[in-house]
Order: sequence, then C-alpha cells, then structure tokens
Amino acid sequence: MKDFLQKVNSYIKEAFGASKYLFDGITVTFDHLRRRPVTVQYPYEKLIPSERYRGRIHYEFDKCIACEVCVRVCPINLPVVDWVMNKETKKKELRNYSIDFGACIFCGNCVEYCPTNCLSMTEEYELATFDRHNLNYDNVALGRLPTNVTSDPTVKSLKELTYLPKGVMDPHEISASDPRVGKLPEEVLDWMVSSPSKEEISVGNSTK
Amino acid sequence: MSNGLDLEFSFNEALKAFGVSSEIAHIIWLPFPMLIVLVAAVVGVLVTVWLERKISAAAQQRIGPEYAGALGVLQPIADGLKLLVKEDIIPAKADSILFTTGPILVLVPVILSWLIVPFGQNLLISNVGVGIFLWIALSSIQPIGLLMSGYASNNKYSLLGGLRAAAQSISYEIPLALSVLAIVMMTNSLSTVDIVNQQSGAGILSWNIWRQPIGFIVFWICALAECERLPFDLPEAEEELVAGYQTEYAGMKFALFYLGSYINLILSALLVSVLYLGGWGFPIPVETLSNLLNIPLNTSFVQVITATLGIVMTILKAYLLVFIAILLRWTTPRVRIDQLLDLGWKFLLPISLANLLLTAGLKLALPKFFGG
Repeated sequence: MKDFLQKVNSYIKEAFGASKYLFDGITVTFDHLRRRPVTVQYPYEKLIPSERYRGRIHYEFDKCIACEVCVRVCPINLPVVDWVMNKETKKKELRNYSIDFGACIFCGNCVEYCPTNCLSMTEEYELATFDRHNLNYDNVALGRLPTNVTSDPTVKSLKELTYLPKGVMDPHEISASDPRVGKLPEEVLDWMVSSPSKEEISVGNSTK
Repeated sequence: MSNGLDLEFSFNEALKAFGVSSEIAHIIWLPFPMLIVLVAAVVGVLVTVWLERKISAAAQQRIGPEYAGALGVLQPIADGLKLLVKEDIIPAKADSILFTTGPILVLVPVILSWLIVPFGQNLLISNVGVGIFLWIALSSIQPIGLLMSGYASNNKYSLLGGLRAAAQSISYEIPLALSVLAIVMMTNSLSTVDIVNQQSGAGILSWNIWRQPIGFIVFWICALAECERLPFDLPEAEEELVAGYQTEYAGMKFALFYLGSYINLILSALLVSVLYLGGWGFPIPVETLSNLLNIPLNTSFVQVITATLGIVMTILKAYLLVFIAILLRWTTPRVRIDQLLDLGWKFLLPISLANLLLTAGLKLALPKFFGG
C-alpha cells in the first residue's frame, strides 16, 4: 500500500513538474509578444553592408600581372587566368580572367594575397540568376562596380545592428547621421592622445 | 431568472399579426439562425486565421500579413479566394468518390455541432435536450472522414496521416466525454443552456472552472488533440508526413479541410467557455447589476443590451482560449505518437475517471455546491 502511494505521489509530482515547464514555456512565448519586430522589408528596404563585407569580387584587369597567386591560395583553385607568354617581350600577356561565383565561397584569400591589389571585395550580394552559368564572371563583369545601397533612390537603406546608437534595436527609428555605439579606432586614439592620464594607461599596461 | 431576448418568439408574434399560422411562421423562421450561424462560423474562421498569423508573427518578432487590407485583415479572404480558383485535382489512382466525400464528412459534423452553441438564453439554433452529447457524437464522425480521405488518396503519407488522426481522435474522445460527463452530473442536464444557467448564480465565482479544475484542463488538452493543433498535430506533421491526409488535396477540397480545422478550433473554444467559463455570463451577474441600477430586466432595450453583452462575453472567452492555443503552438514541441497515446490512455483517462468519481462524491457530500 505504501509502495503504491509512493508511486502515485511521484506520478503527481511528475505531472506538476511537466505542467510547470509548460507554463514557463508559455511565459517565454508571451514575453516575446511585447518585443518589436526586427523585419527589414527587403526589396524596398536594405541593410547597409559593413565595410569589410565579403561580397562579389571586383577585379582590375590592368593591374593584374598574371602571377596566379590567387589560384594557388584559392581552396578550390577557382580563378581562371588565361595568359600566353609573349616571346618577343618575354612577358606574360593576360588574355582573360574569370571567377565562377557559383562555386566561390567568398573566403577572400585571393584578395588577401594578390600582390598588386587588383582584387577586392565589394558589398554586392544579390547574385541570383536564372542560369548558373551566368555566375561565371569574366574580366569585364568582374570589373563592374556594384550599385550602392545608400545611393539607390528606390531603396530605403537601413543601418545594421552594430551601427545603431546605444540601446536602439530598430534601424527605422534613427536618422542616418546618428552616431554608432562605441568609438571608432581613430576616436579611441584621439581620446588617448588628449586624455591627461596618458601615463597611467601605459603604466597599467606594463604591469600586466 | 429572466428569459432574455427571444427573437424567434418576437418573429412568430409579428408573423401571427399578419395572419400566418405558427407552424408556417416556424418554418419561415428556421433558415435565419442557420444562415447567421454559418456566416458567424466563417467570419470566425477568417478572424482566427488572421489572428493566428498576426500572433505567430508577433511571437517570432515578425510583422505578418500587411499588404492585403489594413494590417492584413483581408489576407484570409485572399487565401480563400486563391484556394477557390485553384484547379481541383483528383489523383489518377485515387478513389474519386471517397476522395470527394472525405472533406465533406470532416466539415459537415463540425458545422452541425454549432447547432448547440448558445450565445444567450434563446440565442442558439436549437436547444436540443441531448445537447452536449450530440456534439460528442458528431465529433466522432470526423475521424471516419479523415481516415477515408487518407485511404482514398492512395498515398503512403496520406494513409499514415489518416490512421494517426483516427487513433488520436478515438483515444482522446474518451477523456473528453468523461470530463463532460462530470459537468453533466453536476447540472443534471445535457442541454448546453442548462449548463450555462447552472453557472450563472454568482457570476465569475460560480463558473465551473473552480469546481472542475481537473476537468477543465483535461477537456482543453483533449480539445486541442481533437483539433489536431500543436502539440498534437502529428496527423499532419509536415516534417514527417508532408501534410498527412491533406497531402493530395488542392483547391476547394483542401479549403474544406482548412475551414473544418479552424471551425473546429473555434467550436472547441466556445464549448470550453460554455462548459467551464460560464458561457454568456458576465463576471458579475447581470441581475445584480440591474438591481443596483434599478433597471427592470424585461424591457426590450435592456434585453437587447444583455443579449449583446452575452454574445460579446461568449466570443471574448472563446477568443481568449484561441489566443492560448496559438501561444501553445509556438511553445510546445510536437509529441511522438507513443507519447500521445501514453498521455491519452495512461494520464488523461485515469485522471478524468478520478475526476468523475470525485465529482460524484462531492455531489453527494456537498449537494449545495455541486448540484443536487
């Protein structure tokens, strides 16, 4: 009898525990109702990509020396560098250069290692096409500059979360001139130069 | 106890003045409440679909439908129109007769059940003596329709979905009926009007939820399971079964299923409010209020006001429950089929049986509070 009562007791406890979890869950869901939506109405509104956004790669044909470093550092040897050796001048003559963005993972290694800086990353990310072969950009397509979100009159550009003032969650609430949270590196430098307790900072650093 | 607004009586009196016999007046009267309830059910579905989409969006920090009408209120109508003009496809190897009767058999009992939902003393289609029992009987026709459409689709997902729906409906009907039985035992009547009247003595304090807390929870869980809403939506679990028994349906037939499931949700919410939350009763009894304000209850103006208040209260309570159902949808994960059957047979059934026994005991011990 005692055994049975104990079983009943633990059963009831379990049931109450389960309903408590359920109630906790409901309170979390309920709490979410008062949070504001973070929606960006995409084709009409767009976020401004950050400065170091790794979008479509830009390429300058005239700067390229056809060294093929980009091919060697690429995880899948993607860039196609089409060059021929000019016997008379004994120099490489670049004929074509292409990157297939259907296969590119936008890791930025080629941009990092390019000795002449002829490669750079843009903030363009809308690469959708009807045919995957259209994603294979040749040197002309790679040389085009992307359209800027802020200069497009049909699009309302919005700042990303990290570019908003402190405490603001919704980019719709602020104007374009509002300062972002925290200090930029040059502002930090200005502050360090102008601050009277310069020695204290350097002392503090050396003791660590 | 005042009788409240009786539109049928007034209508009959008006027609008698034109020299029409009362039988013919009754026949002329009959289509009106049916039409009103049908329209109310469909409008209720549109509102519920809109609420579901908006509340779901709010719970996920989205905006939800926005472009069809102000705040997207016309979105359900746009959805409905789209389904209406879509091609009606019957799969080549499906059983076309069963395939077509399936959705009808799902929808018709649900709409028929609105027969017994009271919005006021005389504001219901028919005060059937077997009232709530009729609803239980009608709701057990539904799994046949689900099984039928699942089987007729000639599709493994549909069949599995149909079987799950049948298993679920059958196992949750029993605790549902038992918790209703406890209420019926307290009321000594199966009629929904009597059940509400029994709760109307002291306003919010006399609602059945205080006397039947276990029954309320069991009934609500079972009602969610009968409506196939999360966490019990495994007959149409899209991750495993595409859309369950609805997989092969498109256009108007799919719309029937869709309509049926939402009408069923509203109906369940209405019945919970009727059985446990005092139906059309205001939290403070209307009689007390009228006594305080010294207004006689039987003037036609006051009758119209109290009837409106009753309808508003019933709908308000029902939509509060719909709101809870939507919150639950985004809170709970889907249960597995074995967990579902475990919960039904090993938890809800014994609990509702114990509740029935407890109610019977309390009725004998305290006949004043638990109906004599």
